[in-house]
Amino acid sequence: MAMPIRVVFPALLALLSCIRVVAQDATERGQAQFARTCGFCHGPDANGGAEGTNLMRSALVRHDENGDLIGAVIREGRPAKGMPAVPLNSSQIADVVAFLHKRLDESDRRSPRKPDYALKLLLTGDAAAGKASFFGPGGCSKCHSPTGDLARIVKKYAPPDLQARFRYPSGVAKTAIVTTSSGERFSGNLFYADSFRIAIKDAAGWYHSWPRSQVKAEVHDPLTAHRELLRKYTEAEMHNMFAYLETLK
Amino acid sequence: MKKFALTFAIAVELCAQGLDPAALLKSPTDTWPTYNGDYSGRRYSTLMQINKANVRTLTLAWAFQTRSSTLKTTPLEVNGVLYFTAPDRVWAIDARSGRAIWHYNRPSEGDHIGQRGVAMYKDRLYFGTPDAHLVCLGARDGKLIWDVVIADVKFGYYLSVAPLVVKDSVIVGTSGDQADIPHFLEAINPENGKVIWRWNSVPKPGEPGSETWPDAESMAHGGGPTWMTGTYDPSLNLIYWGTGNPHPVLAGIGRRGANLYTCSIAALNADTGKLVWYFQPSPHDTHDWDAVETPVLVDAEFHGKPRKLLAQASRNGYYFLLDRVTGENLLTVPFVATDWASGVDAKGQPIPDKKKEPQLDGSFVETDSGGATNWMSPSFDPQTKLFYVNAQRGFTLYYLDLNANQQVEGHQAAQPARFGRKVFWLLSTSRPEEFAGAGPKTRAGRILAF
Repeated sequence: MAMPIRVVFPALLALLSCIRVVAQDATERGQAQFARTCGFCHGPDANGGAEGTNLMRSALVRHDENGDLIGAVIREGRPAKGMPAVPLNSSQIADVVAFLHKRLDESDRRSPRKPDYALKLLLTGDAAAGKASFFGPGGCSKCHSPTGDLARIVKKYAPPDLQARFRYPSGVAKTAIVTTSSGERFSGNLFYADSFRIAIKDAAGWYHSWPRSQVKAEVHDPLTAHRELLRKYTEAEMHNMFAYLETLK
Repeated sequence: MKKFALTFAIAVELCAQGLDPAALLKSPTDTWPTYNGDYSGRRYSTLMQINKANVRTLTLAWAFQTRSSTLKTTPLEVNGVLYFTAPDRVWAIDARSGRAIWHYNRPSEGDHIGQRGVAMYKDRLYFGTPDAHLVCLGARDGKLIWDVVIADVKFGYYLSVAPLVVKDSVIVGTSGDQADIPHFLEAINPENGKVIWRWNSVPKPGEPGSETWPDAESMAHGGGPTWMTGTYDPSLNLIYWGTGNPHPVLAGIGRRGANLYTCSIAALNADTGKLVWYFQPSPHDTHDWDAVETPVLVDAEFHGKPRKLLAQASRNGYYFLLDRVTGENLLTVPFVATDWASGVDAKGQPIPDKKKEPQLDGSFVETDSGGATNWMSPSFDPQTKLFYVNAQRGFTLYYLDLNANQQVEGHQAAQPARFGRKVFWLLSTSRPEEFAGAGPKTRAGRILAF
């Protein structure tokens, strides 16, 4: 007799979260253990140090499964290569192995940046110059206000997202006015357009489409001003603007 | 009935429904026996049945549901059978009906991002896997003949390339950007899977090109994947193959120098794999500008003189025209707006602008991070003398990613923004006109198919 799903499911969830906590503890203990007994040669992140190799580039580490290869190297050392045996017990070794596998995952990730890492590095501009541009030649104040739509903008977007977003915002639909051959006019958000077809969704949410050759279509892009700015900005102006936007807390 | 049996017997005796590698030396007229259709890479079909007059009457004849991941493959067509792939999987289907003949499935670990297709030699097919094995299958039944390891999947190597049969060898290149690894191209014996030659896209210390790297360690992890199918000129016996980005991908601080032979077009002797010449579209790349796009071989006049040419619309936004005998650069022109280079040097190679390299606080570069073009093949039409390429414009923020110890941490960090897709056509010059679509093939019937 199978257990009812409402019992199995929470039990499973609880089990999974236990496993996760245990795994996390192991990698944290492993990190501390590694720093104490291995980091002085291999670096605290196992990326290599003055004496020891970068373990992210080790075939043995990459082929290890649950310590089957790493364990022996820790216990016996590699005397020929100058690595001494490290007297760790089996649970300490398991922790170090867990830490090394976590480091491999991190190292192989395409972009491990964290939002908090970003802000202090990204804030290289002059906020006052950014503000002057916002209300002056940048033209931002024609559409935006620091006390209106941009108030507390830093709470809404992580720094790298804000940095990208003011250059190329997204999520604002193009609009279109379509006039048919009989003179009927339709307007709404542009849904699709290519050389052969055009489609909109009107204010009531209804979808309309036409062969492009049979209608007259005017397409409006609310983000045109942002696109035009892309080639006008200098690197310094963009960093200044970002520094100013980061003051809108 | 008797007549049918006789015809059948003759066909079996002639080629056993397979593909004679010598047939690849002539431009095929009624088959598509290699990834690019023929050795020139021009993706031009001489067939006239579908043409400008009747193209608008085409309708769907059949559809075949693979129930797989996205298809990024070009089917081979030999003797009325289509052979095509997805990661881990190969299908043979009847080109006339869409009916499946066989299906091969080999689940594996490794990167499943794409699979371009198989190569055919006699009655065998060659297929690269996500765990970086090369697999040989019988073309008639899809049964495994042999399976060899090309590279170590634990270092992020995988095979997505459609191999290329050249004479009695199968040329296969490697993919993988996950870890910092050296890449290569191998010629494999089609009978037994043994390596005939290997060309490393990054040199060893002391070899030519090693002077463009700071040290042995950076070379040993220097990248240069060979993930797109190259081309071959039988009269010169040269294989042309593009190489991808150096490693680490965006962080160039640990690998000062041009980083040969990454982001390069390499001309290799087909029998030995020895480098005869190279041209580097992106010296010291820090934007992931793989130069793996098809090196298209064209015989045409240039400035009034007949020449053996090689054309590449490269991921970095530049169109290059080379003399394929010597590698001499004849033309370098951008085909989309781009600002990562400050100019072009005496050899015709763009000069990277230091200010546009990835920065800690982000550098803003005009060009989509996926490139001005990518793996979607170009096409050259000898009738119009136009080179067709799928292109895109955009802007990208590039970050240099260092950890607390000022070491390179991530391989990539970029925020891309894409503004529209355009196809541009070029007449070996800088006269682009815009056209909407993706991934062209040209035909004698004067049509461009996507």
